[in-house]
Amino acid sequence: MTTDRTVAGSPAEFAAPGTSIVVDHVSRWYGNVVAVNDISFSLSAGVTGLLGPNGAGKTTLLHLISGLLRPSAGGVTVAGVPAWRHPAMYRHVGLVPEREAVHGYLTAREFVLLNARLQGVTDAEGATLRAIATVELQDAADRPINTYSKGMRQRAKVAGALVHDPAVLLLDEPFNGMDPRQRLHMMGLLRGMAAAGRTILFSSHILEEVERMADSVLVIHAGRLAASGDFRSIRRLMTDRPHTFTIRSSDDRRLAAALLADPAVFGAELGDGKLSVRTADFEGFGRALPRLARVAGISLFEITPTDESLESVFSYLVRR
Amino acid sequence: MITRMPLIAVTLRGVLGRRRTWLMILLASLPVLVALLIRAGGGQPNATTILDTLLIRTVMPLLALVFGTAALGSELEDGTAIYLMVKPIPRWHILLAKMAVAASLTIALVFPVTVLTGLITDGRDALSLAEILGYALVVSAGGAAYACAFVALSAFTGRALILGLGYVLLWEGVLSGLLEGTRFLSIRQASLGLAAQVTGNVTTPPALDLATSAAILVAVVAGAILLGSMRLSRFEIRGSDG
Amino acid sequence: MTEPTNTQPKLASSAGGSIYDLGYQGYQGRRLARRDVLLSLYGQTLRACYGIGRGARAKIVPFTLAGLALIPAIIAIGIAAIIAQAGPAGSRFDSISPIRYHTYASAIAVFVMLFCAAQAPELFGRDQRFGVLPLYFSRGLPRMDYAVARIGGLVGGLLVMVLVPQALLFIGRLLTAADPGTGWRLESPNLLPILLQGLLTVLLLGGIAAVIAAHTPRRAYATAAIIALFIVPPVIVELVTQTGRTGLGRYLVLLSPGDILEHTNGALFRTFADGPDVLGRDLPDVAYFVAVIAIIVLTFGLTIRRYRRIAV
Repeated sequence: MTTDRTVAGSPAEFAAPGTSIVVDHVSRWYGNVVAVNDISFSLSAGVTGLLGPNGAGKTTLLHLISGLLRPSAGGVTVAGVPAWRHPAMYRHVGLVPEREAVHGYLTAREFVLLNARLQGVTDAEGATLRAIATVELQDAADRPINTYSKGMRQRAKVAGALVHDPAVLLLDEPFNGMDPRQRLHMMGLLRGMAAAGRTILFSSHILEEVERMADSVLVIHAGRLAASGDFRSIRRLMTDRPHTFTIRSSDDRRLAAALLADPAVFGAELGDGKLSVRTADFEGFGRALPRLARVAGISLFEITPTDESLESVFSYLVRR
Repeated sequence: MITRMPLIAVTLRGVLGRRRTWLMILLASLPVLVALLIRAGGGQPNATTILDTLLIRTVMPLLALVFGTAALGSELEDGTAIYLMVKPIPRWHILLAKMAVAASLTIALVFPVTVLTGLITDGRDALSLAEILGYALVVSAGGAAYACAFVALSAFTGRALILGLGYVLLWEGVLSGLLEGTRFLSIRQASLGLAAQVTGNVTTPPALDLATSAAILVAVVAGAILLGSMRLSRFEIRGSDG
Repeated sequence: MTEPTNTQPKLASSAGGSIYDLGYQGYQGRRLARRDVLLSLYGQTLRACYGIGRGARAKIVPFTLAGLALIPAIIAIGIAAIIAQAGPAGSRFDSISPIRYHTYASAIAVFVMLFCAAQAPELFGRDQRFGVLPLYFSRGLPRMDYAVARIGGLVGGLLVMVLVPQALLFIGRLLTAADPGTGWRLESPNLLPILLQGLLTVLLLGGIAAVIAAHTPRRAYATAAIIALFIVPPVIVELVTQTGRTGLGRYLVLLSPGDILEHTNGALFRTFADGPDVLGRDLPDVAYFVAVIAIIVLTFGLTIRRYRRIAV
């Protein structure tokens, strides 16, 4: 399923065909264990969250996309170039791995500078300074990385991945170990980069992070792609699961009775000054409710869909 | 190679700068120390014997082994090699840079040690300056060949050190001495062959001739570069979960 | 939210909820003694020596080396069987067969040294590398016990590797002798020297490997250091003594594990008369035994001290 986002009004700096990630029926197995099972999607500019429980295959998928694993079947193309065995691709790709330690004896400045030089960045020192400023590591930049806290190490890795201004950024659990302030800062940074036209794919098993950051999600479970796209749209596609609305009105009881007469409504619950209504037909209910309320002479004060959170979407998807 | 300087620099920093470096210097200086010891005891150290048995057969392969496996293997083992892999650099460049570091460090130790040992020993079996320098070149070539081979081995397996040791001790030490026909599969024999050319010593069994010895060393280096590059270009990150 | 009728036994219950009894109990029974703990760690070390209990890859190196050490014994039995069939005329070959008890040690020396270099870092370095020493020391296991169990396991593993081939040789020669009585008479004097030499070998080499591995958590460097310490001194000794000035060589021998063992081997088997000319043989036999004991005590002591003082 192609998920394309066009960010309205932004200059398409990176709009050349080389910005996309195309994953084409990719599988990866280790003997009898299938880590990634026939996954296909394509991404362009924007932030995509790769969401799944631990062991779902997120890291394997990221390694496949970053050319660090050979696909057992299918292929990955990044920036127009196959990912496997094409080191030239890395000019446009920045990778922030989760587990791999950085050379502990280097300072952050030296590490970022090394990355800049290996990437062939023309003004390596300048780029290093900017990258370090971007992740706010200026104060600690001249201490060896093995003296850093976990969040600082993460930021050093991110700086190293950003220094060559890549069009594609892959991050594996990037907010691991960051305190809330650092996390907010990093989220803002990544969203800004996406707005400038970069393709950002990050993995997480923490729903709130993905909900806040991602324009769209890829839900992966046991190596398979369970869903992709904007999570609210996904929710609407889950027709066998009734939507729940919370309504405050001038007369909840009479409204409940009127609603229950409508075939689209499964159930209604009164309590706590609110009315909870369950319905299968999102669109139909949206039309029916105002009509019924008007006919019955009831004023509607507040209508809230109560289970459109990513959490409910996710729990539905992985329990199937 | 200028553009690969950062690669070489970070490899150098990773290999040196630790307790290990001092131990390697100590190990390398053993031939000199032994020669001094013998002279101090009033004896007449024989340069060729010392260099053949202590340096070519023992110290040189050990040094090359430690430097060779450290240059690439330690980074692969602790995971920091990733940051070098995800760069737009052809993998054989990376391999060559590692080999250059390992070989250079080995040569940097064995060359001066050979010259010093040669100068210290004198008397009946003393070597002329030309012979000493020739020997030093031979030892450098042999050490470089070992180093390149062990770097390539590290690309294939995490147990390169023990396998390399097994090769040096079991294959070169025991078997190829027993099986005459396999002598040309031994870097040690090639080095000894070249050394015999320099000193004109005649040994039994006769050492390999110049052409064969040189060919072996060249083949080892070329094979190491070829196989190592192929392996490195197919580098896959190890066991991920989730 | 209310559960259907749940028949699990309850620890506590009220109208609102229940806590269920899962059968967890405190243990009030007999607890094993310190000796049992030590023995179980020893057993685990012994198994780890040969990679038992871990994957197939861990078994490759130790089993290969132990197997290689066994091959000369198997060949020798084969030869002995053939000789026995040749009858009394064949007994001449027996005395010049290269594979005998007192030559066995030097034949497999290289394999034993490689075994030490490969396995000692596994036994001593892994716990330090992965930071699990606190798990050991916070139980009722004294630090010294840990060190003793580890060293004991290494020594035990080496003993197996060194003695099994000798045992095979012994049994083989017994079986191929003219009759069991003669066979026993001929071979049994060798039993004590075999045992003693085997013990000295494993204690010496194992102790050296242990002390290096305990101080060097990184596997590769421990391996390289152990091998260097085994193969470099004999070369130096040979070089120094070869020049004819035995003054220095005589004492240098005492620092070379391989040479020391050669001498104790010769002393125990009393084969110097007909055996190869061994270097530096100017010191009385007892000097070598003293050297062996001294090095063993030193290395064991340093290893135990290391674990006593290591900060976890």
